[in-house]
Amino acid sequence: MKVKEVPQDITYYEGEKRACYALNDEGKYVVVTSTGWNDEAVVNSLAVEELAAQLEETRQAALAGFKSPLCYHMENRQMNPSILGKTAGIAVFRVKRHFRPEIFAKLGDSVLARYAQALALSLEELKTVPKNTVEKGRKL
Amino acid sequence: MKAEITVSSKPFIHQHAAHCESGVTSALFRDKGVDVSEAMVFGIGSGIFFGHFPFVKWVGLPITTFRSRPRTLFPKVAKRLGGKFFTKKYRNRKKGMAALRSALQESHIVGLTTNIYWLSYFPERFRFQFNGHNIIVLREIEDGFRISDPVLDHPVDCPAEDLERARFAKGPLEPKGFMYYAKTVSDNPDFRRACIEGMKDSCNMMLRIPFPFVGIRGMRYLAKSIVKSPDKLGVKEACRRLANVVRMQEEVGTGGAGFRFMYAAFLQEAAEIFASDELARLSQEMTAIGDIWREFAVVSARIVKNRGQSEDNFAKAGGLMLICAGREEQLFKNLDKVARKLKA
Repeated sequence: MKVKEVPQDITYYEGEKRACYALNDEGKYVVVTSTGWNDEAVVNSLAVEELAAQLEETRQAALAGFKSPLCYHMENRQMNPSILGKTAGIAVFRVKRHFRPEIFAKLGDSVLARYAQALALSLEELKTVPKNTVEKGRKL
Repeated sequence: MKAEITVSSKPFIHQHAAHCESGVTSALFRDKGVDVSEAMVFGIGSGIFFGHFPFVKWVGLPITTFRSRPRTLFPKVAKRLGGKFFTKKYRNRKKGMAALRSALQESHIVGLTTNIYWLSYFPERFRFQFNGHNIIVLREIEDGFRISDPVLDHPVDCPAEDLERARFAKGPLEPKGFMYYAKTVSDNPDFRRACIEGMKDSCNMMLRIPFPFVGIRGMRYLAKSIVKSPDKLGVKEACRRLANVVRMQEEVGTGGAGFRFMYAAFLQEAAEIFASDELARLSQEMTAIGDIWREFAVVSARIVKNRGQSEDNFAKAGGLMLICAGREEQLFKNLDKVARKLKA
């Protein structure tokens, strides 16, 4: 790759730049910053859209009462039951059980507090699901 | 390049790196007065690799990697360049954070292994549950730490709470608060011997592991399974898998073409050290191979975009990868011969 071939397509990294190795005119390798590459964006958006669609589906299911808010918040943090269970210190089978809304509703505050701590949410946030589709820019 | 001040009020030059682990390692050495580039560290630590593991799933997709396992590069470099490093894992969060603070007070710059999702200074797109990201902490500031993240082109601030979460995140490859800094580094490291060791190690990993999923064998295996994938899995699933391979090649901080350009840069530097024309030629060959990897990415992106409806098809993408495999095999065989002849 030559320096002038380093893709500068889009500001895909939200203003951040990426380092690429490329050859300069004298044939020496230098580090060049890249602002993004369209072809990379194509493959990436496939993965990002898939995650977003999955999250949206879970949000609908939680609103309709088929799944507990816990399930939504776990997916929102890109976790799976095993990561969440380890972080909160709760067995995986219990985590999965808590995805059922009727069981989640009966949970005591101490268990909820552990989930809230693990997911970096407040208790209130943990018990509810956003009414509208959440766009980018989730805060910690 | 902006100079930052560390605790010891020594200037620290933040250098933008392509890859986190090699970037952090080279920064730790540079802080101790050994001038070593990221590419050099990458070569000495035998960072280049290939592996495709169809049975290890990550978010439902098989893992493809273009580099050696996280946390193997740093110890290899430390050993080969002769540095004494403090390394420790922590079980207790509070102790881990206290140890970080006291190390900073002793005027070290400290390397940490973190989970990239909880590092809030990253843009949303970078953030996913991956436990192998390396960063350098420069000093403590109000409510947080000043951080030099080699993947970004400028130093950043990170709140203490986020950093604690990132250091003690759970899941595969848990960082467990892993922390490291240089105690002493030999003033005059033997670059020649380190380079030879690194090259030989890489050749062994690429050519001689008797396991069908790693090295050149892994590349061939993946290429063939890509060709077959639309019939076997359906076009949609095949696209997902192909997209994941390209993501691992380009997205995850590789410096382009799945670390191949970075390795070419290493070979170029090594050629200067040894004044060897053979290494210079190998560097050019590596660049050429990297260009084919880029072409593979372009073709794959078009396949994914058109859902396999255009003339670019999976057979073409797999074919390009087979070409890469063939040429890389030849390259590493030649490199092996050259490295054996070089005198330390």
